[in-house]
Amino acid sequence: MNPIDDDDVDTLLRQSFDGPTPDAGFSDRVMQQLPPRRLRSAWPLAAGVLVGAVLCALSLFNSPLWRAAWHGLRVGERSTSTMIVLSTMAGMSLLALAWTLAEADDH
Amino acid sequence: MTCVADSAAEARIDQSLVARALLGDDRRAFEQLVRRHQGMVRAQLCRLLHGDEAAADDLAQETFLLAWRKLDQFRSDARFSTWLHRIAYSCFLQTCRTKSWAARHAQDDAMEHLPAPAHAMDLQLDLARAMQHLSTAEQAVLLHCVQLELSHEEAAYVLEMPLGTVKTHATRGKAKLKTWLSAWHEAAGEERVR
Repeated sequence: MNPIDDDDVDTLLRQSFDGPTPDAGFSDRVMQQLPPRRLRSAWPLAAGVLVGAVLCALSLFNSPLWRAAWHGLRVGERSTSTMIVLSTMAGMSLLALAWTLAEADDH
Repeated sequence: MTCVADSAAEARIDQSLVARALLGDDRRAFEQLVRRHQGMVRAQLCRLLHGDEAAADDLAQETFLLAWRKLDQFRSDARFSTWLHRIAYSCFLQTCRTKSWAARHAQDDAMEHLPAPAHAMDLQLDLARAMQHLSTAEQAVLLHCVQLELSHEEAAYVLEMPLGTVKTHATRGKAKLKTWLSAWHEAAGEERVR
């Protein structure tokens, strides 16, 4: 008589498993118990963005860098401050884009 | 190859149903997910609860309600079915810690440890008895890896165990079963010779 090997044990274990349980009304019972989904309200995010933007504008408004950059933009001059501000804005936009793409990929 | 392709197609269907349930708050999409996976989740829990179907159904219901609440936390790095098995196993552990099922099961265990009948029993009954004598972790690993046909990586995810530990439990569990069942095999062989 051949000794029992791993495959025999696997086969016996699989044979002893009855497989998926028949539904028999289970899904309907679950669906009846399902609570309404709590929709995440959008106002905290909107308020946060608004407050952040206002604080950012206030802190930049008095900055000499921002004034110099704004002046440079108005007269079409490529000053160092203009380039710094434009590079920062481009960097922030790229970061936001990468974050959005990563989130979209997760879903 | 076909099996892998089927599995990938099933995973894509699950992902699209999850997306529909999330984005459109589509309860019908979630209902389809429940119908697709309830059988295996209930079978998993029924095995973990040693055949207590009523308790398994209660836990399965809790599992799907939790899945509905946490659906936005599902990441497609695991299959949806594996994610559900993980929630079900967490619910099972939680129940063992808090409810009376473990106490009731302890009484059943005492019954299990009564001396085995002297006559050779059917191999399947012997296997069930042998499974009861494995450690809880070995039983859980063999259930998920062999009977539910999860990969070692998926079983490690469901059971929240390191991959190496899962492999060790699988090897040890099978080795113990082989030893115990070999005794049955030899006894059966001797009976045939007589």
